[in-house]
Amino acid sequence: MTAPTPTTDAESALKESGHGDGPRPQSTGEKILRRTGRAIIVAFWVMVVAFMLIRLSPGDPVTAALGGDAAPETVEALRKTLGLDVDPLTQFWQYFTGLFQGDLGASLISGIPVTEMLRTNLPVTLWLILTTVVMTLVISIPLAMFIALARIPGLPYVFRTLTAIGLALPSFLVALILLYQFGLVWGIAPIFGYDPTFPANMQYLWLPALVNCVVLVPVLSRVLYSSILDTLDEEFVETGVIRGVRSFRFFWFYVLRPSLAPTVVLLSYMMGVMVGSTVILEIIFALPGIGRELVTAVTMRDYPVVQGIILVFGILVVFLSLLGDIVASILDPRVKLT
Amino acid sequence: MSANPVPGVSPDSLVEIRDLVIGIQRTRKDRLIIVDSANFDIRRAETLGLVGESGSGKTMVCRSLIGTLKRRSASIFAGSIIFDGLDLANLDERQWRPVRGNRIGYVPQSALTGPNPVMTVGKQLGEAVRRNRKRKDKDVRKRGMELLDLVHIRRPEVVYDQYPFQLSGGMRQRVMIAAAIAQDPDIVVADEPTTGLDVTVQAEIMKLLQEIRSEFNMSVVLVSHDLALIDEVCDRLVVMHAGTCVEVGTVPDVASTPLHPYTIALNRSRIDIATPGAPLVTIKGNPPAVGEWPPGCRFAERCDLVQEDCAVGRNPALVEVRPAHWSACLHTELLGGSHG
Amino acid sequence: MTLVGAGTADWFDVEGTVPTPKKARRLKDGTVGLVVGLVMLILLLIMGLLVPLLSPYTIEQSIDMPFLPPSSTFWFGTDGLGRDVFLRVFDAVYLDLGVALLGVMIPFAIGTIVGIGLAVGRSKVLNAIVGSIIDGINAFPLLVLAIALIALLGPGLQSVVIALSLTNWARYARLARTRAMVVKQQGYIEAAQTLGYSKPRILFKHLVPNVSSETTAYALSDLILVILLIAGLSFLGLGAQPPTAEWGAMISDGRPTFQIAWWPVIFPGLALCWAGVSLSFIAEGLTRRERDVKS
Repeated sequence: MTAPTPTTDAESALKESGHGDGPRPQSTGEKILRRTGRAIIVAFWVMVVAFMLIRLSPGDPVTAALGGDAAPETVEALRKTLGLDVDPLTQFWQYFTGLFQGDLGASLISGIPVTEMLRTNLPVTLWLILTTVVMTLVISIPLAMFIALARIPGLPYVFRTLTAIGLALPSFLVALILLYQFGLVWGIAPIFGYDPTFPANMQYLWLPALVNCVVLVPVLSRVLYSSILDTLDEEFVETGVIRGVRSFRFFWFYVLRPSLAPTVVLLSYMMGVMVGSTVILEIIFALPGIGRELVTAVTMRDYPVVQGIILVFGILVVFLSLLGDIVASILDPRVKLT
Repeated sequence: MSANPVPGVSPDSLVEIRDLVIGIQRTRKDRLIIVDSANFDIRRAETLGLVGESGSGKTMVCRSLIGTLKRRSASIFAGSIIFDGLDLANLDERQWRPVRGNRIGYVPQSALTGPNPVMTVGKQLGEAVRRNRKRKDKDVRKRGMELLDLVHIRRPEVVYDQYPFQLSGGMRQRVMIAAAIAQDPDIVVADEPTTGLDVTVQAEIMKLLQEIRSEFNMSVVLVSHDLALIDEVCDRLVVMHAGTCVEVGTVPDVASTPLHPYTIALNRSRIDIATPGAPLVTIKGNPPAVGEWPPGCRFAERCDLVQEDCAVGRNPALVEVRPAHWSACLHTELLGGSHG
Repeated sequence: MTLVGAGTADWFDVEGTVPTPKKARRLKDGTVGLVVGLVMLILLLIMGLLVPLLSPYTIEQSIDMPFLPPSSTFWFGTDGLGRDVFLRVFDAVYLDLGVALLGVMIPFAIGTIVGIGLAVGRSKVLNAIVGSIIDGINAFPLLVLAIALIALLGPGLQSVVIALSLTNWARYARLARTRAMVVKQQGYIEAAQTLGYSKPRILFKHLVPNVSSETTAYALSDLILVILLIAGLSFLGLGAQPPTAEWGAMISDGRPTFQIAWWPVIFPGLALCWAGVSLSFIAEGLTRRERDVKS
């Protein structure tokens, strides 16, 4: 032992007992902190991309909005409104400082501040995402547990086929068919409208969430199923049996919890993809979320709104994947976060 | 597979394993036999070594002692395991509960995957201490610390709240031993407990098992493929080959006059570090695959001393060739031992 | 994310000795899926070629009988403008698949070049900036970013391809960079360097082929996503414009009248699913076979 370095209790305990091996693994708290730091950096670059998108991409937003033959004064005026009349660095500074004051600009069409629009529309999208996550887990976990414990031969094959099909289904087609069947034929789901208060909004959200489940459930339950099988192979399950651990405690601590981490990480990743498809679902189900607002803004060429909404979408995905990694590392301390 | 000269009947026999047959029922008619005719005793407060190549069925015999064969879709087809008036071969899940973990402890094979990765050391010890009974948290913690202290873990109060991944391999295995002895069992079954550990740590774990055995008067069943290790720490040993016990005896007896060519071959294949330049001897051929056992002696094909009558008929049974020293070889006279 | 999973080999203590019947003559894992997928794809491609050739109508031609249900003359019925759905569905095969292919190949090429460049490049500052932009782009859902870009470029399939090229490359770049970093560490690159091979030779003989094998595998599954994405954008009215026969646009067209006539929606939808599922089976089959060879 050369230079004395400050050690924590855990570390010295290892050393004293004479069989410490390698560097001490990070504690869950440290891992989460580092992962959050990385998410913040990515979020910054998300802001940069959202900023550059309007300014650096081919096609000038002003000409695109006004058409080629607009009067020079009108062009100048719009340039000023969009803040495009100063040099890019100043623009970025204005944009960046504006963000922290909750200023995302205002709609060119209605003049309503983008943050104001988000206040009413973002909750709808968040509720849709939340409902999807809950519904997917509620279906996938019991399904995977049942299938893993029932040990039906040939099932992995069925699973693989279903996953391959599920991943290739266009969600807008599934949405149309389900909306027709549930909404018009059986009349058990409203075909449009929304109620922003909690239990009432479920009435409008369960069907779009179900559409997401069509893709998510086969993928997730397949992954969970195979990790449960892997877990059941592990020796610690045996030690649990020998300690006489039974029923719920056994299923949670010895079967499900050690298996959940890969599923949670995958779910958070898949939700990132699903966030994109909520745009289409919001249009089909006429939900007043930010996805529908985005498409409207795009067709109206309302750039401040477009920029604000894609920024929110980007941050949302960064947050979802951070959340997934955090939950996974709390559930299973073996998980390494990068 | 006859059992006429029953090996090891002795007043201090704690467990008597007789003609044990273990296998997997693959389809209604198709049985895959993994162990047939395991015959040996476990005596009170002894360290018994169970040695053999992988595939010899030693792990399966181990599982039958702790009643976890079913989890591996295997079951006992015949034979008996008599432990304190109970036949462990015929217990159902409910009857197993008071035995498993209470009277027979288990130390898992791998320190890496033995402890539950998502529970703290304390939680796992707590389960072993509580065993579904209601006990005050304070008492459980106190007993947990005591156990950690018994297995020589320093700063038990720190380790108690740590997760297995924060501990070294040796520490983890100490924790597993602590959990195994939580109920003060009669027997501790340790299935290759030092797999994947450093040599120095291996020695420490072995020392610890020895210590616990003498302190608490427990029997230890130590499974290993390492004959040198068995020689060092065990009182008696059982040599297994292709699903049968081929030799049973005390360690000094087996070391001085091995009575089965397989044991001799195992001894010879040990790496001799002390003699530089000594050739590395391996046992020729592979052990016969499970389900493809030849008639007669299953070692015949690999044996240097094979005779005409070796590879015919049934698998030879254990015979007490010398006092308290059994062998399943038909031609022990060729090995220098006196027959009968 | 890494999970520890050792120590499970000794399952029956007879590892590998349990005889599996007919192991030698068994088909490789995934072969069935691969064959089914290929047959489905080839069928679609043949129909896409033959139907427009043999049809007596054109895709824009109306027979003045809107919403004819499927019959022996019009197998998939007619749409609201009296056009033959059968013809339009199969006419769209090469458009949909072709645009998707373009939307994968361009990002694939850009991404691979950028990724390898980052891995072999020396400038730390440039690496950090480009790397962060890649992370920033990848954080967005592809569809959202594509929609935003189309806002600037104006709707149309051309814009879709440009939007995809500008965004999707980042995913390939990330993959290629990671892979190139791994390949760079490998022994044979070092060996080639010791032997004094020129840099371009090492780059093109060793690095590029090894990296692109990985990105190609990803490209196949990406193709499915891009097919769905293009149809989705057209469904939103941001991709193919009428009267182009394109699956997403056709579904969007038929949507208001779905209640009275399901066929103008369902048949293009089925074709879209068919294309996606066939590629999905191929991708699944290929990965399975790969794993089978390795194990």
